[in-house]
Amino acid sequence: MHPILSGGKTRLSVIRHTAGLVLAAAGFLATAPAAHAVPSFARQTGQECAACHIGAYGPQLTPYGVKFKIGGYTDSDGKGGKVPLSGMVVASFTRTAKSQDPAPDKSSPNNNHSLDEASVFLAGRLSDKIGAFVQATYDGIGQRTSIDQADVRFAHTTEVAGKETVFGVSVNNNPGVQDPFNSMPVWSFPYTASALGFGQGGAGTLINGGLEQRVTGVSAYTFWNNMVYAELGTYRSLTPTMQSRLGLGKGDDMGRLGGNTAYWRLAVFQDLKKQAFNAGIFGLNSSLQPDRSTPGSNKFNDLGVDASYQFLGTREHVATVNTSYIRERQTRNQLVATDGADNLKGRLNEFKLNASYHYMQTWGATVGRFVTHGTADATLYSDGFANGSPNTSGYILQADWTPWGKENSWGAPWANVRLGAQYTMYNKYNGAKTNYDGNGRDAKDNNTLFLFAWTSF
Amino acid sequence: MTMISRAVLPLPLLLAAAASSLSFQACAAADVEKGKDVFATECAECHSVREGKNKKGPSLFGVVGRKAATVADASYSDALKASGITWTPDKIDAYVTAPKKVVPGGKMKYDGLASAAERAELLAYLATLK
Repeated sequence: MHPILSGGKTRLSVIRHTAGLVLAAAGFLATAPAAHAVPSFARQTGQECAACHIGAYGPQLTPYGVKFKIGGYTDSDGKGGKVPLSGMVVASFTRTAKSQDPAPDKSSPNNNHSLDEASVFLAGRLSDKIGAFVQATYDGIGQRTSIDQADVRFAHTTEVAGKETVFGVSVNNNPGVQDPFNSMPVWSFPYTASALGFGQGGAGTLINGGLEQRVTGVSAYTFWNNMVYAELGTYRSLTPTMQSRLGLGKGDDMGRLGGNTAYWRLAVFQDLKKQAFNAGIFGLNSSLQPDRSTPGSNKFNDLGVDASYQFLGTREHVATVNTSYIRERQTRNQLVATDGADNLKGRLNEFKLNASYHYMQTWGATVGRFVTHGTADATLYSDGFANGSPNTSGYILQADWTPWGKENSWGAPWANVRLGAQYTMYNKYNGAKTNYDGNGRDAKDNNTLFLFAWTSF
Repeated sequence: MTMISRAVLPLPLLLAAAASSLSFQACAAADVEKGKDVFATECAECHSVREGKNKKGPSLFGVVGRKAATVADASYSDALKASGITWTPDKIDAYVTAPKKVVPGGKMKYDGLASAAERAELLAYLATLK
């Protein structure tokens, strides 16, 4: 599990025990994953960070970055001797509008300074056609080290119908981590968030981090004429023993993933140099058996639509808009049989819309809207929820400063840093505006100020 | 009178010539500025204009008039090395229009710049890099 998600997992542990896998999924997505932009890619390609990343940092990719990822992380400046290793450290201060009771694990009720994570990456070209992005992370809050995001891929470029075409294969540990665009849950805004805050509510779809790191999968993809992207893959759950070996811990095992798990993606993309856009659809169809020793599983059918637009111009003024909508249909056979839910069928939908502006690839501002909405179930959404409802909504504002990562920057291509201030405001949290937990806590009490220093080298 | 005539009569011509020259320079300067923007949009991800600074592609400092594939420490395709090209303005224009047509087998991942006006502006800017 991603370390930044540890706060969310703690909050949801009670729910997970009662509700099983629906909230095993939810528990992993209470906050967004930290972003990844690693200088070893810059050293390999001879490019500055800004060539691949909007605002010269973080996972929001430019068209150049999209193509670099699709190309299997193998593009280079043709020179050898590059070591595909990088590091990253995130430190932060978190303040919530009202202190948390009980306090998050190993933290104070409020005003927490933390070392969120320290990561090492194997990131870059391993051969002409094979590249990797594999992260191991020390979680400064959970105080353990484990495998994090991993994507190893093979890519071959040829011509089909006279047009350049990439055929590739990705082996990875999180559905969507291999996606090259900026609007699926794994890589969407916020690119880093407080592990001690409240994320985007206590419930979330399976494709929104519900399986991350506890599965391994393989997918085949193609990218035709720099325009059409298509991908199809499948996943299997790691055994508890393997999860333990990877530092994930057996205790958080989500159960056994069904053998019929399918991940798919279709998108169109246009790089017009001054601007770029993509639009697509994606899906994850799966089932989870929460208790490996007892028959019974729950089904998830996730269907998403997404789109992005980027105004790039001369890169002095860069503006982006990203959006996604995910609709999940749940069939809760196991949950109903074990009294973990009242209703056999249920829905959970997630909407995200965010817009960013960066000046001189240095000064950035982003505003985001998030909405989680689902059908009520008094048993499934009980402790910590009001009205048996998973509904959460709010806004995120962020301002950031990325002084380096450009061609003439100090320390390029070895050093980069982003300093940011992020504020999350909740209109509704876990089903209500007020008293959502039955103990008098209101949604606005979860409003979170997150100041972060995020560096990579 | 004759002397005065000689002195006065050319003046309008001189002024016209000066104005024309200033206008030309202003246009040229405008083209260079626009060309700098074209470079930033189309080329700067892979090319620097700093002398000796190679990115994925070679530095374009002094590119006009340079023999292809001769920048030290830059990586070139075999096709470009064997092309025998010298980067005259015409050749640059043709290459930027359709790179793979001019250098089949080249490795520059660029589909080409269709606008002749933008190519002219880009060339005006590249010509200043010396």
